[in-house]
Amino acid sequence: MTEPHLSAAKTAPCWKSTEALKLLNGDSELLRELCQIFLQESPKLLQSIKQSLSDKDADGVMRGAHSIRGEVSYLGAPKAVQAAAELEEMGRGDNLGRGKEVFSILERELEDVHIGLQNLMGASS
Amino acid sequence: MDLVGTKDTIPTSEASSGLFNSVLIAEDDPVFRHLLQSWLKKWNYRVVTAENGLEAWRALQQKESPQLAILDWMMPGMEGVELCQRIRSAGDTPYRYILLLTAKDHSDDIVAGLDAGADDYLVKPFRFEELNARIRAGRRILKLQDDLLRAHSSLEFEAAHDPLTGLWNRGAIFKLLQKETQRHLRTGTPLGVMMADIDYFKAINDSYGHLAGDAVLREVGSRLESVIRGYDSVGRYGGEEFLILVPGCTLADLALSAERIRASLGSRPIHTDYGEISMTLSIGFVASYAECRVETPDDLVRLADAALYSAKANGRNRVEGASHSLAQTR
Repeated sequence: MTEPHLSAAKTAPCWKSTEALKLLNGDSELLRELCQIFLQESPKLLQSIKQSLSDKDADGVMRGAHSIRGEVSYLGAPKAVQAAAELEEMGRGDNLGRGKEVFSILERELEDVHIGLQNLMGASS
Repeated sequence: MDLVGTKDTIPTSEASSGLFNSVLIAEDDPVFRHLLQSWLKKWNYRVVTAENGLEAWRALQQKESPQLAILDWMMPGMEGVELCQRIRSAGDTPYRYILLLTAKDHSDDIVAGLDAGADDYLVKPFRFEELNARIRAGRRILKLQDDLLRAHSSLEFEAAHDPLTGLWNRGAIFKLLQKETQRHLRTGTPLGVMMADIDYFKAINDSYGHLAGDAVLREVGSRLESVIRGYDSVGRYGGEEFLILVPGCTLADLALSAERIRASLGSRPIHTDYGEISMTLSIGFVASYAECRVETPDDLVRLADAALYSAKANGRNRVEGASHSLAQTR
């Protein structure tokens, strides 16, 4: 079940700024600012989701995943959005059975996004 | 007369000028907060930010807080939907326009948000231009609401005031008399009523013209207003007749007060574009009090009118009180 995800993540380009820029009306300065905040904030959110998962706190998982989903939806990272959405639904349905599994996908996707973002920041500064 | 308010329109892309240019953002997510803030500032809105629902609620209690609020659906402390409900149950006037932001795409949630009192919603990720257009739509609604309130209060004023003098009109002063009579009968505090009439007003109109007559009426109205006490009321009852309500005043005080008004009104000529016009006032008054009660507003007016008639018959420029026996006939 997770195999296709994994291989897809490795082969497809992990992050493109074009989608994000389209949403932001081409404002690359704003994109950089948002990326900076995201790079600071998302590790905290991931940490809180992880904590909620081990506490079996479905509401906490839902909220954390919801925030991540909102943020990555702006940064043009569809796979991370998908994983976060899945996790959010699990939290909402109080069904965390596959929580850790989906969380690790999300974690991996975000890692890729981080690398992409850092490249962008490095390239344009 | 402008019943539909000001004609200024809302600019299509900028909010630097015009109404409703401040926006409250309630958003716990720092990425979104920054995004919204930066867009709104670009469009020249004044931005107030809150990091959770409770903070937003407090911000909205401040004086001159924004009438436009962008609320995130899911926030710690108080969620967007609950905040919507609170704002609506507070029944704020002027109206607050609420735009709910949601990353959800479940239509059930959207229904719940709108039912809670949101005016509109946006699903994340929304585009730059879409948010701008939705806020403009919100400002249009606020502008309409504002025009409506202005028109309403202006109509309310016109319905109760005499357009020439700005005093209460006949209907409004009579309503006030009804209220004062009820209060008087309930509490027993005395109630005085005066009917004042400009002497030889027809002669003023005939020799100076009707516009001069209007100027005299306006000046008499303003002099009457300045000479009565704060809790007295004066209205234009008819052509050159004024009804004055004087609550909580003994008969002796009422007589003094009527005399003071008469003397003060005629003390100096009225300056008009048509020349200096001298005029005098005749006043009839009646008091209702424990030993001598007048039970209805109609009787009070009738008795004040009769006293005014005596003042006219006895030579004008004088005051007359309704006789006790006359009052007691009812």
